[in-house]
Amino acid sequence: MATTACFIIVSRNDIPIYETDAGSATKREDASQMHQFILHAALDIVQDLAWTTSAMYLKAIDRFNDMVVSVYVTAGHTRFMLLHDSRNDDGIKSFFQEVHELYIKILLNPLYLPGSRITSSHFDTKVRALARKYL
Amino acid sequence: MEPDVSVETSAMIRIAIIPIGKIPHQTLRDYYSMFLHHHTIPLSSISSFYTEEQKSPFTNQPWETGSLRFKFILGGEPPSPWEDFQSNRKILAVIGVCHCPLSPDLDSVIEEFDGVCKGYASARVTRCFGFFPCDSQLEDGGKKGENLRLFPPADRQTQEMHLQTMLQEIAASLLMEFEKYVFQAESAGTILKTPLDSQASLSSEEVIKAKKRRLGRAQKTIGDYCLLAGSPVDANAHYSTALELARLTADYFWYAGALEGSVCALLIDQLGLKDPSLEDEVRYRYSSVILHYKKSFIPENAQRVSPLSFELEANLKLARYLCRRELAKEVVDLLTSAADGAKSLIDATDRLILYVEIARLFGTLGYQRKAAFFSRQVAQLYLQQDNKLAAISALQVLSMTTKAYRVQSRASISNNSHTNEVGSSHADSGKMHHQSVVSLFESQWSTLQMVVLREILLSAVRAGDPLAAWSAAARLLRSYYPQITPAGQNGLARALANSSEMLPSGIRCSDPALPFVRLYSFPLHPSQMDIIKCNPAREDWWAGSAPSGPFIYTPFSKGEPNDSSKQDLIWIVGEPVHILVELANPCGFNLRVDSIYLSVHSGNFDPFPISLDLPPNSSKVITLSGIPTSVGPVTIPGCTVHCFGVITEHLFRDVDNLLHGAAQGLVLSDPFRCCGSPKLKNVSVPNISVVPPLPLLVSHVVGGDGAIVLYEGEIREIHISLANAGTVPVDQAHISLSGKNQDSVLSISYETLKSMLPLKPGAEVILPVTLKAWKLGLVDLDNASGSMGRQLKDSSSPSLLIHYAGPLTDCEDPPKESAVAPGRRLVVPLNMCVLQGLSFVKARLLSMEIPAHVGENLPKPVYLENSASKEAIGSETKMDGLVKIDPFRGSWGLRFLELELSNPTDLVFEISVSVQLDSTEDKLSNGQDATEYGYPKTRIDRDFSARVLIPLEHFKLPILDGSFFMKDFKPDGAVGSRNSSFSEKSAKAELKASINNLISRIKVRWQSGRTSSGELNIKDAIQAALKTSAMDVLLPDPLTFGFRLVRDNLSQESGDSRPKGSVSAHDMTPMEIVVRNNTKEMIRMSLNITCRDVAGENCVEGTKATVLWSGVLNGIAIDAPPLQESKHSFSLYFLVPGEYSLVAAALIEDATDLLRARAKTNSPDEPIFCRGPPFHVRVIGTA
Repeated sequence: MATTACFIIVSRNDIPIYETDAGSATKREDASQMHQFILHAALDIVQDLAWTTSAMYLKAIDRFNDMVVSVYVTAGHTRFMLLHDSRNDDGIKSFFQEVHELYIKILLNPLYLPGSRITSSHFDTKVRALARKYL
Repeated sequence: MEPDVSVETSAMIRIAIIPIGKIPHQTLRDYYSMFLHHHTIPLSSISSFYTEEQKSPFTNQPWETGSLRFKFILGGEPPSPWEDFQSNRKILAVIGVCHCPLSPDLDSVIEEFDGVCKGYASARVTRCFGFFPCDSQLEDGGKKGENLRLFPPADRQTQEMHLQTMLQEIAASLLMEFEKYVFQAESAGTILKTPLDSQASLSSEEVIKAKKRRLGRAQKTIGDYCLLAGSPVDANAHYSTALELARLTADYFWYAGALEGSVCALLIDQLGLKDPSLEDEVRYRYSSVILHYKKSFIPENAQRVSPLSFELEANLKLARYLCRRELAKEVVDLLTSAADGAKSLIDATDRLILYVEIARLFGTLGYQRKAAFFSRQVAQLYLQQDNKLAAISALQVLSMTTKAYRVQSRASISNNSHTNEVGSSHADSGKMHHQSVVSLFESQWSTLQMVVLREILLSAVRAGDPLAAWSAAARLLRSYYPQITPAGQNGLARALANSSEMLPSGIRCSDPALPFVRLYSFPLHPSQMDIIKCNPAREDWWAGSAPSGPFIYTPFSKGEPNDSSKQDLIWIVGEPVHILVELANPCGFNLRVDSIYLSVHSGNFDPFPISLDLPPNSSKVITLSGIPTSVGPVTIPGCTVHCFGVITEHLFRDVDNLLHGAAQGLVLSDPFRCCGSPKLKNVSVPNISVVPPLPLLVSHVVGGDGAIVLYEGEIREIHISLANAGTVPVDQAHISLSGKNQDSVLSISYETLKSMLPLKPGAEVILPVTLKAWKLGLVDLDNASGSMGRQLKDSSSPSLLIHYAGPLTDCEDPPKESAVAPGRRLVVPLNMCVLQGLSFVKARLLSMEIPAHVGENLPKPVYLENSASKEAIGSETKMDGLVKIDPFRGSWGLRFLELELSNPTDLVFEISVSVQLDSTEDKLSNGQDATEYGYPKTRIDRDFSARVLIPLEHFKLPILDGSFFMKDFKPDGAVGSRNSSFSEKSAKAELKASINNLISRIKVRWQSGRTSSGELNIKDAIQAALKTSAMDVLLPDPLTFGFRLVRDNLSQESGDSRPKGSVSAHDMTPMEIVVRNNTKEMIRMSLNITCRDVAGENCVEGTKATVLWSGVLNGIAIDAPPLQESKHSFSLYFLVPGEYSLVAAALIEDATDLLRARAKTNSPDEPIFCRGPPFHVRVIGTA
């Protein structure tokens, strides 16, 4: 389990639709803000990088100090962004793939408006479980 | 670290610009901007100032194409410890700038300048420029030291020319100085040191190596000067030597420096060329540079000094060189690794510069979010410094990030919109659209946005910029109130209040704070002030302008574009208008709105401000009003609010977007919903146009505007007062009715209104209107029994529509339809409240017969004039007039319609019945004048019932015809004939008409108290009553019997003294019986005549017969031809005087079906018996 991990899902309109703190480190408010800032800034890089490869998992695309941003871009250009300080590439990849499946299930919900905030508590629980499992 | 480094930085000559004496800030900036134009001096232009004293060391100087580059540093800078390593870091020239009008004493200027120059040991050229000297100073200046240059007053262009020349001269001097230095360096071998070279490193360990190292460093420095002198080829040659020597001596730091210089020389040499191979070369060499800077890192003195900043600078230089979108990935990598170095930097300023540069480069690359991220880092570093200037810098940097974080101040958006427009013409339009959609829902990265705004607020407070602080606090509060605790909200409110205290009153801010304002509704004109379009082409100019029904779309509105979303609204100059807006304060503090009014940009509207308090978490609908002042369109984008000491404009559109986003779950919260206000559909702002003044009619009912309470059927006259409250006379007016129960308005005095036109402003006219209450239906009855209020709300009352208009101004030019001033419509609702009055219980038909006297000519034979019967009673009282001879029955008859009425009200009613004897159309009683008979009134007390008798006039049809029994015959099929159907129909219609005629002549009026009076509607009652017995009432008997005294005329005339129709006892009285056949067929009958006394005993037969007779009385066989009468004579001899009655009865033989139907027999064998009415005979005489 990583000490710091912040997971965020950004819709294709660059709006965060899900965010969770998956890290085991004690949360400090300014630190979690910093995480968001880093992830937000990384969007610029994702935006260019997503078109250069056919893979959905873009690996670690950005870093600030000792924190690394790994990104997974779905076909619908929804971005899963993970801020972490551990280097467990395989685990992160599996994490992203499983979250993608969960996300697809959310999308299949006819009452879910694509691009709106994911409020399902079930999704949240599952994502947290995945984070514990892989990160 | 240094800001703004690039590969070419190595070729720039630093010149300090120092203000000397007093110079206003603005002037200094002005002068400085003049310098900036001349940052590059071509070598070709300085040849006139250049004198070659000895052979120039710059052998390959490109005199035609080369140039010297200047970097002006305003205010100068302290000498860098690294200036030996990079000669371009030296301040090589100092230019003093003096504003002569403020520094009259040139000596002191020179003195001060010399003092300043002492601080710049490395400066090889010093000049002091004096601008705008006066004449005496000019004269004086000529004699002063050679360093002083005076610029005679001239326009800017001339001065710039002058300055250019001066700078060319400086350039030439510098070039010559460089030559001198190179000679000196080559020969003497100066000792060049950097802070990196510790005492230890230059130990006597390897003297030869140290000497070589020194040589290499000298070569590198010469190369630097060659670069500064604009000779890249020479530079390159020296750098090559330096590289060689540095590699040999493992002087990695200097190796990297020389390599950097060589790249710069390469670029300067190939100026303007951008081929990929050059790029690759630069990239390759720079990666080597970076590598060697890394290598030169010496752990032991890392605490004190480190070459890291040079490594980072090299990174930035390469990044800047490569900074293009195609190479974004590479640049990002460089910048990321540069950013990684930040935490190893010792000096906070270096870190600041690094972040600034990274942010700038990301910005150039188009990575706005990255740039914003690093800008925020810069701002945080500034904020750590905790002084006002740093806070100002932080504020400025942060305000640059607001766009990327979408927390812009509205002021900056409006500024940017122009630049965006230019840019967007080339930009991908789809992307623009996408961004605009996103911008609707700004509060998305709310955590970041709140942090940024909070930092802006903090830095603005520290920087002492109350407006920026106010704006940031307002944005924070407005957009993120759901995520701020009530305590935090209070804090922000306090920050707003504190900031406003420092602001001048009446200052405006483009960012609205609270409350949220949304459009609630545009009330249309009240129906009393409705505006309608004029159609001057028509007589009824108001027609077609108002919607004619409850339908939004009517097929009658001609193919106009059906743009229902944008309705049109017309306002009138000088007439106040109201708009409802809803305010919401979702925060936890009491909000005081000092004033709020409609914000109108068109300038033809005077809004009225109001002030109010909004309690925490509340919303309020308020009415904002104003007066249109001039003709033209009006747009109302929002409200201007004065709250927290600052004036802001709140646009309706923003809140609409917010609510739209909230509806989709994209925005944090709906401020109105969380205040408990119900959901409201989007209200669109209509197109509003202002028209010139119109007349304005105001109405009220004289005697109170309350409901007019009427009982069913009550008739009352009311007066409606119309006054012109406008400023324009009413020229045309027309009254019409609308709504339900229009027939309850009996009359309107149109003439009264017409005669008063034109109605001047302030004039009044009183209009009488007669009303009659309608009859309550079943539903209405329920309502009436219920509450009064419901009855009032019930829109069953009619209303008067008064269309009116002012004078027609532009009648001459019909083509301009819009020029026609609209008219107005006044709706005067007649609030009638109808109460239940007398209620009808039942109706009955009553009939009674009074036997006729047997006389010579009484009753008159039916074939005589019908009216004869009435003549007989002409002299009698009116009451008696009702008793009429039934011409068919031959007896006196009286028929009444009995109405039973109950009075459920709490009033006393008096009923009067009148029958209008207008019988000109009545076939049975024609020749009569119209007369009315009144009868005593019947009084019905409350909760009582009473019966009212209504006399019915006798009337019957002359012939008993088969037509009335058509339906009875049909099944038999024998008698019913088709060819007679027409006459049958007409006969039926005649019957019906006669019933209606009868009913219409009867009027039942009531009166209650002094004022209320009305009429009962008894039509239905009578019809119901007549239905059952219509046949009996209307159809004649088949046979009419009549008795007559047979006398000669003489004796009748002489017997005037005797009562008419009297018979003497003991006298043979000849009589005859007349039998009339009322059918169209021959009737054979057997006739019997009996005479009864008052006791009803048969006095003709029996043992005690008191009447003797001659002739036949029983079983008289008579054949009555159709519609003819037959007579039978007999005589009676009365023994006893008194009253007798004669009765005739006939047994009809071989009765037809018609007769059977009339007699309502059940079986065909039943004998048909026809009995006449009794006839009175008064026998006088003595017994």
